[in-house]
Amino acid sequence: MLSTLQPPRSLTLLPFRRLHGSKTIASLASSSPTLDASSVSPPQSQILTTRRSLLSGETTASEIAKSYLSRIRLTEPQLKCFLHVSENVLKEAQEIDQRISRGEEVGPLAGVVIGVKDNICTEGMPSTAASRILEHYRPPFDATAVKKIKEMGGIVVGKTNMDEFGMGSTTEASAFQVTANPWDLTRVPGGSSGGSAAAVAAKQCMVSLGSDTGGSVRQPASFCGVVGLKPTYGRVSRFGLMAYASSLDVIGCFGSTVADAGMLLHAVSGYDRFDSTSSKQDVPEFESQFLSMDSFESKPLKGLRVGLIRETLEEGVDSGVRSATQEAASHLEALGCLVTEVSLPSFSLGLPAYYVIASSESSSNLSRYDGVRYGNQVMADELNKLYDCSRGQGFGGEVKMRILMGTYALSAGYYDAYYKRAQQVRTLIRKDFKAALDHNDILISPAAPSAAYKIGEKKDDPLAMYAGDIMTVNVNLAGLPAIVRRSINQTN
Amino acid sequence: MATRALLAVLSASPPRMIRIKVSTFPSSSSSSSIKFQRHITIARSFSSDTNPSVLQPPDVSRLAETARISLTPSEIEECGAKIRQVIDWFGQLQQVDVSSVEPAIRAEMEGGNLREDAPETFENRESIRASIPSFDEVYLKVPKVLNKE
Repeated sequence: MLSTLQPPRSLTLLPFRRLHGSKTIASLASSSPTLDASSVSPPQSQILTTRRSLLSGETTASEIAKSYLSRIRLTEPQLKCFLHVSENVLKEAQEIDQRISRGEEVGPLAGVVIGVKDNICTEGMPSTAASRILEHYRPPFDATAVKKIKEMGGIVVGKTNMDEFGMGSTTEASAFQVTANPWDLTRVPGGSSGGSAAAVAAKQCMVSLGSDTGGSVRQPASFCGVVGLKPTYGRVSRFGLMAYASSLDVIGCFGSTVADAGMLLHAVSGYDRFDSTSSKQDVPEFESQFLSMDSFESKPLKGLRVGLIRETLEEGVDSGVRSATQEAASHLEALGCLVTEVSLPSFSLGLPAYYVIASSESSSNLSRYDGVRYGNQVMADELNKLYDCSRGQGFGGEVKMRILMGTYALSAGYYDAYYKRAQQVRTLIRKDFKAALDHNDILISPAAPSAAYKIGEKKDDPLAMYAGDIMTVNVNLAGLPAIVRRSINQTN
Repeated sequence: MATRALLAVLSASPPRMIRIKVSTFPSSSSSSSIKFQRHITIARSFSSDTNPSVLQPPDVSRLAETARISLTPSEIEECGAKIRQVIDWFGQLQQVDVSSVEPAIRAEMEGGNLREDAPETFENRESIRASIPSFDEVYLKVPKVLNKE
């Protein structure tokens, strides 16, 4: 729909190694992940391409897996997207090939190479949420989303880097490594799902799972130039997602195209008896609704009412972001949409309300990391000291800070002034969104007030870092779905 | 599930052209504009259920003890300054009139999805046991438990 690309810089230094005789890989080997909408017919999708080429015998899952592993080996020293790369990738690919050669059915994600954020549990594979307190932890079960992916033939290639427990917007708050933005290695990939976004942007995997508590899928998708999809709260089971702020957390999807992100969402959605907040509503089938570009009229979105959120384009937002968003709105008009400005009066209150709620819930959720049942333990001569030291040495600075802020906001005498009040503000935000959506089919806004900034630029200034979340947190407070994709190319 | 979606269009300008406004932050204004300012004073007007004299700045050592996190003296100093800065900024919420607004615990969602409260056996018990740092026969091993005097 809207296509803009930051000009490739460092990525051109990271060539994709072509695999002989593999059309699938050749299609991935384009010099940049630019999406040329005019040539897309039917929808560009690595998931669909993989399925077609496997079933037609053009290539094998093993060949595809090898090429991705090779790409990871080549690019990881510079990018550091992965905290762990699976040892079973080739074995799983070979099993798929054997099934195909025996004429057996394979799942819709067969051979699809998928990255999984490190706060989503994978059985027998390290899952640390990028925290020292869970270093070397291997969960005894798969998260429901991961289980579904595996059942459909998807190959989990590894665990992606992130801000510790999802607390951050740059992936610099990982206890283990800093991920670089594939487009410019001196810049952050965004966060907290920075590893998942950068891995898709750098073609280290086809699609990936992330999590989004206040923008952790959408903002890194923006910084890395990929599609990021945050589902409605409850659409995807949170079972196996390490809880940060339970009333806001969702598992989300990254892909190079809207079609890929949509198909991954379809794969992981649905009610799960292990998550009472998951929805029992039917999961719509997206793939059959894809239309060929050739079938479009000149105004394919005729009559769609689009609300441009006024507050997202005011003072404090980078001029380049403003103009790109306005160009996107004009483009939508050209496609037949009726674009009007809408106001969300409570918009600016969402940020402090979000940080009160997220910190409060995290102080409760992270109390489970006590060094007794799993994770790193610092032995002491007395139980409370064991807790204190295990947590003190296991958590990073940002995590400690948020736990302490949450502890403060939930303290007796402060609860009404902070936590309860933030929840009342959440009600106001929900009402504003509802009013805006009563008159519009969709709303549009930038995903962040700026494009990717330099590594280290905001690391020691929490308020400057939090300010970057202004565009995304309200959506989590309202529980709404949102998708991020590149806007119209204004750079070339 | 809602059929409507919020479409966020991401920024398009190349990183090198970006000027980051690090010294800005949303104001406590009830107006809709994103005005950015760093220091926000704690509210003067409180709702009836909040007594302003009770809202003392955070005592980081005490909070750390409550949250069971050991902090070094330098961490207390560094972390404390940042926490006070953020808590100050939280203060803008006090200026919002929420007198007749019900709090929302989470997004609107359907009810009745609780499963039956019945025990089930988890098969992969050995893997759970393998994750326990100190284990002795069927017991988790911890140091002695002492009450504070």
